[in-house]
Amino acid sequence: MPREIITLQLGQCGNQIGMEFWKQLCSEHGISPEGILEDFATEGTDRKDVFFYQADDEHYIPRAVLLDLEPRVINSIMNSPYANLYNPENVYLSKHGGGAGNNWASGYTQAEKLYEEIFDIIDREADGSDSLEGFVLCHSIAGGTGSGMGSYLLERLNDRFPKKLIQTYSVFPNLDEISDVVVQPYNSLLTLKRLTQNADCVVVLDNTALHRIAADRLHIDTPSFAQINQLVSTVMSTSTTTLRYPGYMNNDLIGLIASLIPTPRLHYLMTGYTPLTTAAQVASVRKTTVLDVMRRLLQPKNMMVSTPVHRQANHCYISILNIIQGEVDPTQVHKSLQRIRERKLAQFIPWGPASIQVALSRKSPYIQTANRVSGLMLANHTSISSLFERTLNQFDKLRKREAFMDQEVIQQLVDEYQAATKPDYLAWGTQQASGSVDRI
Amino acid sequence: MNNLNEQILNLAEAEDIESEILDSDDNCITLKTKIRHIRNFIQDTPTTSKTRQSETSSQILNVDSHPFVSANLTENSCTQSSQNPFSQASNTVSTNINSFTKDCEDVSDGNGTYRINPSSCSGPSNDFNVYCEVGSDDRYWTVIQFLQEKEVKMSEFKLHHHVSELMNLLRVRSTDTVGAEVYTEMLQKNTTPYITTQVSAHQAKRKIAESSTTPIEFLAKYDELKGKNMRDLDPLVLLLSQLTEEEQTKKILEKQAKTKADEAGMTLLQHGKIFSQLPAPGAKITNQEFTELKDMLLKESKSVAVNIPPQPEWLFQRPSLTLDFIVGVDEPIDQNIVPLGSLPLPMQEQAIIEDLLKCMEGIEGKYILARALTERYAPKEFMIDESLDPSVQELVRRFLPLCSNYSTVVRFIEEKSAFEYGLVNHALSASMRTLIKDYMVLVAQLEQQYRNGNLTLQKFWFYIQPTMRTLDILASIANSINRGECIGGAVLSLLHEKTSGLIGDAKCQELCLFLTQSACVPYFEILEKWIYKGIIKDPYSEFLVEENETIQKEKLQEDYNDAYWDQHYTICRERIPVFLEQVADKILNTGKYLNVIRLCGRDPKFPYAVEMVYTLKERKYYDQIEKAYSYASKLLLDLLMKEKELNSRIKSIKHYFLLDKGDFLVQFMDMTEEEMKQDIDNIMPSRLESLLELALRTSTANVDPFKDDLKVELLPYDLITQLFQILTIDTKQEKDYRVDPTDLHLSGLEAFSFDYVVKWPVSLVLNRKALTRYQMLFRHLFYCKHVERQLCSVWIGNKAAKMYSLHSCKWYSAAFALRQKMLNFVQNFEYYMLFEVIEYNWHVFQSNMDSVSNIDNVLDYHSDFLDNCLKDCMLTNPDLLKTVHKLMMVCVTFSNFIQRLSSSTSVEVETKPTRESSLQATKKD
Repeated sequence: MPREIITLQLGQCGNQIGMEFWKQLCSEHGISPEGILEDFATEGTDRKDVFFYQADDEHYIPRAVLLDLEPRVINSIMNSPYANLYNPENVYLSKHGGGAGNNWASGYTQAEKLYEEIFDIIDREADGSDSLEGFVLCHSIAGGTGSGMGSYLLERLNDRFPKKLIQTYSVFPNLDEISDVVVQPYNSLLTLKRLTQNADCVVVLDNTALHRIAADRLHIDTPSFAQINQLVSTVMSTSTTTLRYPGYMNNDLIGLIASLIPTPRLHYLMTGYTPLTTAAQVASVRKTTVLDVMRRLLQPKNMMVSTPVHRQANHCYISILNIIQGEVDPTQVHKSLQRIRERKLAQFIPWGPASIQVALSRKSPYIQTANRVSGLMLANHTSISSLFERTLNQFDKLRKREAFMDQEVIQQLVDEYQAATKPDYLAWGTQQASGSVDRI
Repeated sequence: MNNLNEQILNLAEAEDIESEILDSDDNCITLKTKIRHIRNFIQDTPTTSKTRQSETSSQILNVDSHPFVSANLTENSCTQSSQNPFSQASNTVSTNINSFTKDCEDVSDGNGTYRINPSSCSGPSNDFNVYCEVGSDDRYWTVIQFLQEKEVKMSEFKLHHHVSELMNLLRVRSTDTVGAEVYTEMLQKNTTPYITTQVSAHQAKRKIAESSTTPIEFLAKYDELKGKNMRDLDPLVLLLSQLTEEEQTKKILEKQAKTKADEAGMTLLQHGKIFSQLPAPGAKITNQEFTELKDMLLKESKSVAVNIPPQPEWLFQRPSLTLDFIVGVDEPIDQNIVPLGSLPLPMQEQAIIEDLLKCMEGIEGKYILARALTERYAPKEFMIDESLDPSVQELVRRFLPLCSNYSTVVRFIEEKSAFEYGLVNHALSASMRTLIKDYMVLVAQLEQQYRNGNLTLQKFWFYIQPTMRTLDILASIANSINRGECIGGAVLSLLHEKTSGLIGDAKCQELCLFLTQSACVPYFEILEKWIYKGIIKDPYSEFLVEENETIQKEKLQEDYNDAYWDQHYTICRERIPVFLEQVADKILNTGKYLNVIRLCGRDPKFPYAVEMVYTLKERKYYDQIEKAYSYASKLLLDLLMKEKELNSRIKSIKHYFLLDKGDFLVQFMDMTEEEMKQDIDNIMPSRLESLLELALRTSTANVDPFKDDLKVELLPYDLITQLFQILTIDTKQEKDYRVDPTDLHLSGLEAFSFDYVVKWPVSLVLNRKALTRYQMLFRHLFYCKHVERQLCSVWIGNKAAKMYSLHSCKWYSAAFALRQKMLNFVQNFEYYMLFEVIEYNWHVFQSNMDSVSNIDNVLDYHSDFLDNCLKDCMLTNPDLLKTVHKLMMVCVTFSNFIQRLSSSTSVEVETKPTRESSLQATKKD
């Protein structure tokens, strides 16, 4: 009876990163692509049942629901070695298979129609778990299915499971290159509203930053989807590692995210991971220490969200959680934290207690890594508002001067993030409210 | 500790102090270097010394009322001069200490830092700055700071306990001017080993004699005790000499002695005052001697059990069974005896030779008569016929000591062969008997010569020369044993000292060696049995190790102390032969280890068992003992570590008690949430047991082979009460925390704890005391986890606030911020305890365990681990604990409030018709 987590994969992007995620989990737990436990992995000091359950023949089945409105990606999964891993009942493909056509509204309305069928699957999964902790949603916010259907699902999940956590891994579109999807800003904005109001924790995966990291850090000029998705799956698996390899602390999802998110709306998290390697790249293995890892995690270039750093100097961290894996001496952690504090490497909010929290975690014994210490940073940083501002700007370009409810919500979010950099954040809500009253 | 060090460092802001603190941590430096450190420290930061007084463990030294304390310090700091600058005798010294003052009393300008030189070894290098404070009561205080190591802290606690116990014994009321604190402080300063050189003992003796009203009697008593070869005499004398300067203590003791005497129904003799009474109560003042005394009393209560077979009645009814002179039997007086003087000189010589030969065999002669003994062990005296020729008489007198010695030895042999004198005395007297046999042969040969008419007195004298020396030694040994009433080990010590004292006299030394060796045989047999097999077979309680059968190993499960390991076998100090003193602890441990193995149903046998023989050169049996020790410790360690898997047991305990397996705990708390909320009386332990079982099976704890030993326990008191009870034992506040158990309504959460079933021999290490400490840690952590869960559930409850408009959510932001602060605190506190305290100490413990060589080390490391964890988790300081507990309570109150509030508001929200899809809602706009 662990605290189970159900993963929902939506649309093309969601299914692709989901597949990489399950690949990663299988290899970390020593589960073969068919779901059978490998011989070397039978000692069992890990918790497989958070993300998997066992069928009657003892093979492991992921608690995953795969949803898409077009068959391409799911078909490719079904043709991969991992085809037998998933419960075929949990794979839902729209009957007509036309997709959402990169249209948020199309995805949303289609999902509305498919409500019964989708929630049959989700309810079945939820009933199959003893103490469900929450849902993890993988999707992109730019396309049609991931954004539209995702938005609908978020709303409904919130209704049906008000006490369960909803965490999303949301891929933000690459804003550097001109997208083939014209309505991308629309889709993004509409999805952002639901993410703000209906999700409890959004891990932002910015395609812009992912491509930059692939190019700068991994030296891949034209990174493939698979390579980018591997980065994402590393982040996803590491952020759940304390749940799967239990230690002293942070053994449930709520404990992880509650400390990161002080007020309900400021729940967009950035991530950073170091040291990054890909399977292909064996080259330079450097020496890693706790201090080194923590310091690198604070560098903006390792962040998987691209935000202009120096445009507004007063952006600061609301909270940081570092998940450190590997052979770590607790005294080293203490020293590193002290060093970082002395050097003032991280700027924190003035209105509340904030510090770098550290969760030490074991590594999977079945995967050999070249580096002794690796770390993931989950950070709540106010500079994420610039991402929303960008989306807003693009939206404005598309649709000049039309009052739109959703826009207002996101604008408020941008304002709130900016207000959070100031000491009087706690009184901000009051001021805003009275201000708006004045305007009326 | 790290934190504390850091804090101190920050305050001091001086790099070099760090090294000093680290140095002093090693605990291996002498007091001398410590003083130097302190001096450096004070010199470095003279202005801040007062402010730091509260942070560091400063001790205030009252120069006025404890002169000997500072005397001790200075005596150490300046060893070449044993004079005491504070005593009256050396007042003259103060004149030649250049311009420096001697102590604070000489400084009359009020508070401030002064340069003083208390030691009499003058010179600029020996003075240092101290902070002097003139108290309100016009007493002068010298502030000397001790940045001392934590070990001292722990022993301080113990010491305090001992002192207060002693005060109770002496019935000193706490209202008296001299409280327990003063003595504790005093003793703490004096824990340096006594200087037991002849010089200081002599000095002390003189000092007592000076202040005593009856110095002669004191000196006589001293010599008597010295003659009895008493242990710890010198330290006692030293202590007494210090007591003479201690007016207040003297008064108290006097009062005490008087009341005691009154109770006993006798009046105290004036001249006796303290000193006649003191050896008993005075000896108890030092920690070590007090415990020794206690041990002795304990033993006495048990030694009744020693079963001595009775001597047959006829042995006493027939006086002529002895080889000694029979005195007081009225023989018919021989009428033929003519006064010797009337005979010619050759006849006189012949007659007296015959008498002498008789006397040498223990028979009275015609002209040499034995006197009756004045006391039991007195030497025999003889009367010679006065009419004997003076020159012959002179010669005969020289013979007589031999006869007297013979008598002493024979009496000794006969007396010590009785059962109650023990095996060592038996062996000694047996070996003496063989020597007496040789002696008898000599006498017979001489008699033969005499019959042949070849023996003149001069020849006779020549023949018995070597025998005289032999018997002299035998008699002196017999006398010392008689005087000291030695048994067992004491006899051996005495023989050993005699043997080594006779160095240079090869023949006599050989004789003594022979005696010692034969006396050692039974003792070494016991020893061999003990160190080779772990069995004590000691019918007359002579052996240095003593078994205390009232302490059973089963009690390890129940009693909250480690009495079994410490007290089941103990060393009896006065029974250790001197030559085994250094290895006594090893001997004790060897047998203890083997005994544990025996109790596990195995029969350990030392494979290289060799018979031990006493030699003057001590190497040989030392090696043997060393070998046996290493064998036994290895055997037991292997048994515990490999077979009984001690380390994985401790690891398993850590999983549950120290929350190593977090998922298990999360699961357990999820399942028992409802149960825990209830009152302790409504909880069914069996239900908790089954839930625990379920949690164990379904979490990662499932792989632990020892998981079934985990049990649930509901204690009738909460953690705070428990801790305060433990912490306040023997302090004044004890009664304040005695809560009436009836008015406590504990919820399951407060009463809950795990328990762990431990079996022999693992229970040696994981005894009740250790488990209790684990439990305390667990309950503390468990409560923190509970608070964290509460706050997290508030977080979940609050997530609905996202949907609200800015207008309505403004009221929440303050609550959010507060919740976040609380959560942050609780999580950081947990992180500190789990990672920085427990995990760190666990690392240290594990690396120590890798290099462990015997079970005592394991015990030490384990208790160190627990001690450090408890201390750094702030469970040993009532004030800190109270604060933490209060904070936790505030968090719980807050989360309860918010949950109540949100449950009432959510009802309002439910009533609003907002169930439509948001798309439709936006379209309406």
